[in-house]
Amino acid sequence: MAADTTLADLARRMAAVVGPRNCFSSDADLLTYECDGLTHGRTRPALVVLPATTQEVAEVVRLARAAGRAIVPRGSGTGLSGGARPVPGSVVVGLTRMRKILEVNLEDGWVRVQPGVINLDVTRAVSGAGFYYAPDPSSQSICSIGGNVAENAGGAHCLKYGFTVNHVLGARLVLDDGKVMDLGGPALDAPGHDLLAVLVGSEGMLGIVTEVTLRLLRRPEATRTFFATFPSTDEAGEAVSRIIAAGILPAAIEMMDRLAIVAAKAATGLDWPDVGAALLMDADGPLAEVEHTSSRALDIARQAGALELRVPRSEAERQLMWKGRKSAFAAVGRISPNYLVEDGVIPRSEIAPVMREIEGMARDHGLRVANVFHAGDGNLHPLVLYDARESGQEHRAEHLGGEILRMCVRYGGSITGEHGVGAEKAAYMSEMFCEDDLETMQWVRAAFDPECRFNPGKVFPSSPLCGESRARGEPHPAEKAGLVERW
Amino acid sequence: MDPRPGIAADAVLGVVPRLVFEPATVAEAAAAVARCARDHLTLAFVGGGTDLALGTPPETLDAVLRTSGLARVVEHAPADQVVTVEAGMTLAALQGALAPHGQWLALDPPWPGRATVGGIVAANAFGPRRARYGSARDLILGASLVRADGTAAKGGGKVVKNVAGFDLPRLLVGSLGTLGLVTTVTFRLHPRPEAAATVRVREVDAAGVWALTRAARQAQLEPSSSAALVVSDRLDLAVRFEGFAPGVEQQSERWLALARAAGLAAERLDEPGARAFWDRHDAVRTDGPLRAKLSAPPSALPEVARQALAPLLGELSPASAVWYPELGLGFVAGSPARLPAVAQAIEEARAALEQRGGSLVLADAPTEVRSAVDVWGAAPPALPLMRELKQRLDPDRRLNPGRFVGGL
Repeated sequence: MAADTTLADLARRMAAVVGPRNCFSSDADLLTYECDGLTHGRTRPALVVLPATTQEVAEVVRLARAAGRAIVPRGSGTGLSGGARPVPGSVVVGLTRMRKILEVNLEDGWVRVQPGVINLDVTRAVSGAGFYYAPDPSSQSICSIGGNVAENAGGAHCLKYGFTVNHVLGARLVLDDGKVMDLGGPALDAPGHDLLAVLVGSEGMLGIVTEVTLRLLRRPEATRTFFATFPSTDEAGEAVSRIIAAGILPAAIEMMDRLAIVAAKAATGLDWPDVGAALLMDADGPLAEVEHTSSRALDIARQAGALELRVPRSEAERQLMWKGRKSAFAAVGRISPNYLVEDGVIPRSEIAPVMREIEGMARDHGLRVANVFHAGDGNLHPLVLYDARESGQEHRAEHLGGEILRMCVRYGGSITGEHGVGAEKAAYMSEMFCEDDLETMQWVRAAFDPECRFNPGKVFPSSPLCGESRARGEPHPAEKAGLVERW
Repeated sequence: MDPRPGIAADAVLGVVPRLVFEPATVAEAAAAVARCARDHLTLAFVGGGTDLALGTPPETLDAVLRTSGLARVVEHAPADQVVTVEAGMTLAALQGALAPHGQWLALDPPWPGRATVGGIVAANAFGPRRARYGSARDLILGASLVRADGTAAKGGGKVVKNVAGFDLPRLLVGSLGTLGLVTTVTFRLHPRPEAAATVRVREVDAAGVWALTRAARQAQLEPSSSAALVVSDRLDLAVRFEGFAPGVEQQSERWLALARAAGLAAERLDEPGARAFWDRHDAVRTDGPLRAKLSAPPSALPEVARQALAPLLGELSPASAVWYPELGLGFVAGSPARLPAVAQAIEEARAALEQRGGSLVLADAPTEVRSAVDVWGAAPPALPLMRELKQRLDPDRRLNPGRFVGGL
C-alpha cells in the first residue's frame, strides 16, 4: 500500500538520523509507547524515534512535518493524564536518550540539563554541595525534567516552593519547522514576552524542549516533621486551616483518609493506627524559625482534635513516614484490584465538606474512594477503587471521577493541580473555561505551532481547531495537513 | 460610556491620544476596547502611570483607556489566602484591604500609592522582597483580560495550585499592554510577618557584597530582601529578615557574625535607622530623569560594578544606584550630564551585561537619550516567536503599537 510505503520510507529516513536501533516501527516495539502512566487509553503510533541531540530532534521534526505526521513528545512516560498518548499515525519522539547534565553553576544557583534527565538526578548531582531542585512530584525517581516542564509538575513541597514554572530559568525549544529557539536564561527579566511562562505547562503542544535551565536552591538549615492522627477528615481539615491561619507556611502538609492509611500500612508495614485521617507535615527553613513554627503547628493540631502526635526520632524514621505517604498511590493496589487516580483542586478551607461530599458520591456509585492529597494547597488525589472484573464497575468509577472533578470546579477549584489535562481531561476543560478562553489559548498555541503538529488531541476539547476563529468556513491547516478531522 | 478628548496629561511617551476612556466597570472596559476594535483605533492602557516611561513611543495612539475606575476587590478569601482584584486598584489600597486579615500581597514595587495591580502585572514591577517571594509572575494565579478584538477571556484560576490550560496569566506578566487589557487579577497572598530586622554593612566593595551574599546563602540564612546602595565607589548593603521573632533574631545575629568574620563593621539598625535605609532605597527606585534597569548573573556583581555601574554613574549627576545581589538585578538613576558620553556609557554598560546573558533597559530617559540609544537593547533571540504571538492576539497591531521590544 502507498501509505505503508510512505511510512517505510519515513522510517528509513528517521533511522538515518537517529540510528537504526533508535527508530522503531514493529508492533512489538511500539507496544510500550501506546500509553503513558494512564494505562486505560491506548493508541499505537506509526513510529517511535529516540533522538540524542537537539540537531537530531530538529531533523526528526522536519522529516515528520514533511511526511504530514503528528509529533508526540515523550519523556519517561509517567504522566497520569494521557499527555504522552499517541494519536493514530503519529511519530513519538522519546527524549530518554537525552540524559546529560550539561552544566552546573552553583555560584549562580542553576543547572542546565537535557530533557530526559530524571528529576531526582538533578538533586543528586548537587546535593553534595548542599543544593537541591525543589519540585518533587511523587514519581521523581523516574519522571523526566522534560515531562515536568510539559506538565508544570508540582509535588508535596510546592505549597512553599512553587511549581516547575517557578524554577525554570531557560529552555531550548525545537519548533514545528525545525528551528531552534532559546527562551529565557540564567539572568532574570530578559526583555520581551515571557514565552517561557507559557511553554511550561503547555503539555508538549508548542514544540520539543531539548535543554532546560533549572534554578537550584540551597538546602534549608532544618526540617521538622510530624505525623498527626484525627478521628475524621473534619478535624484534620480544621487543623490545616488553623495552621495556615496562624501565618505558618509549611513546606508540605499532606492528608490521608482512613482507606489510604490502611493501604499505606499494608504496603510499608508502618505501625500507623486505624484512624479516620492523618496529617504529615514538614516545616523547613532556618533552625530557630522551624523550631518555633513546628511546635506551634503541633499545638494547633492538638487543639484541633488530634488523637496522637508523632515526631520522628531520626532521619530514617522521617524518611519512613514520607515513604508511607509517597507510596500511598501504589499501596492502594493492595486493597483493590483496580483504581483510578484523580487530580483536582479545591480551596483548602473547604476540605472537610468536600471530603464528606466525596464520601456521599462514592456511596451513590457503590464504590470506595481513598484520599491521599496535598492538603495545604487543596490539591486532592481521590483514588477511586474498583474491580474491572465486575461488569459496569470501571464505567461507574470513571463516572465518579468525572463527578469529583465537576465538584472541584463547583467549589471554585480546578480539574487538575499537577497531573495536567492531557487526553483524559480535555473534555472537562469546558467546565472551567468558556469558548473564548479556550480560543485565546489556541491562538497562543498557533503562534508556536500553526499546524497543530505537536501533541494534537490534548488539553482542548475537540473543537474549535487550533488558532482559528470559529466562524471561518475554510479547512484548517491541520485538516489540510491530514492531522485532524473536524468530525 | 462616551470617551472624553485627550489632553497633554494623557500622553503616553509624548503621544497625546485623541480619546480617553475611563470605564467604571469591567463591562464598560470591554465595551470600550470593542469599540476601538470596531473603529480601528490604536489603544494604550494606563493605570497609575508609574511605568509609563517604559518603552519606545507608540507609533500612533488614537485612544487611552484609564483603569482607575476599576478599583474594587472582587473577592478575598482570607482562609485560602487568595484575592481577586480589579486592575485599577492601587497596591496601597489593596494592602489596606488585606491588612485587617493579617495578610498582604508580597510585592513591593515603587510608588505603592500610585502603582495599580494591572500596571504591576503589565510591567512585572517589583521591589526588594522579590528575593523571598518572587515577582508578580510567581504570585499570579489567574487573570481576566479583554483581547484586542474586545472579547473577554480568562486564564488560570483562583486556587493556589492549578495546571488546567495554557498559562495566560503569566504570559500577561511583563507584556506591557501589548496582548490585551488586564481587567482582574487573582493573586496568592502571604501572612504579614510578625517581626522584622534590618542589618547593615557600610562602604563595602562589590566583591565584598557578593562574598557576604554567598556566605549568607551558604549559612542557610533566608533573608526577605537584600539591597546594596551605591555610595561613591562603595556599597552599603542592608539585609532584612522577616517572619516569626525567634527566626528573625537568630538569623540577624548570624548574619552580623558572618559580616564581622569577614572583617566588616556590621550593625543591626534600630527602627528609625531601618526606615531611613529603606527610604533611601525607595528614593533610588523613583529617581530620574534617567533610570536604567540592569540584569546579570548574580555572581558577576564585581564585573557589573566595574563595567556597568561605574561608567553609568560617572555620566550621571546626581547619580544613585541600587543592586539586589541575590537576584542579579539593579537600577541606576540620575541626571545625564553630557549627551554623547551618557549614550556611550549606556552602550558600554549594556555590552558588558549582554555579554554575560543579562540586559539593560531604560525604564525612563530624557528624549535626547532615547534618540541616541535603544531603550530595550539587543533583540531577544525569540523575537520572531513574540511577533507571531502578537500577530495572533492583536493582528491589526492596535495595542501599544511599537512600544515594546523589537518594535512590537
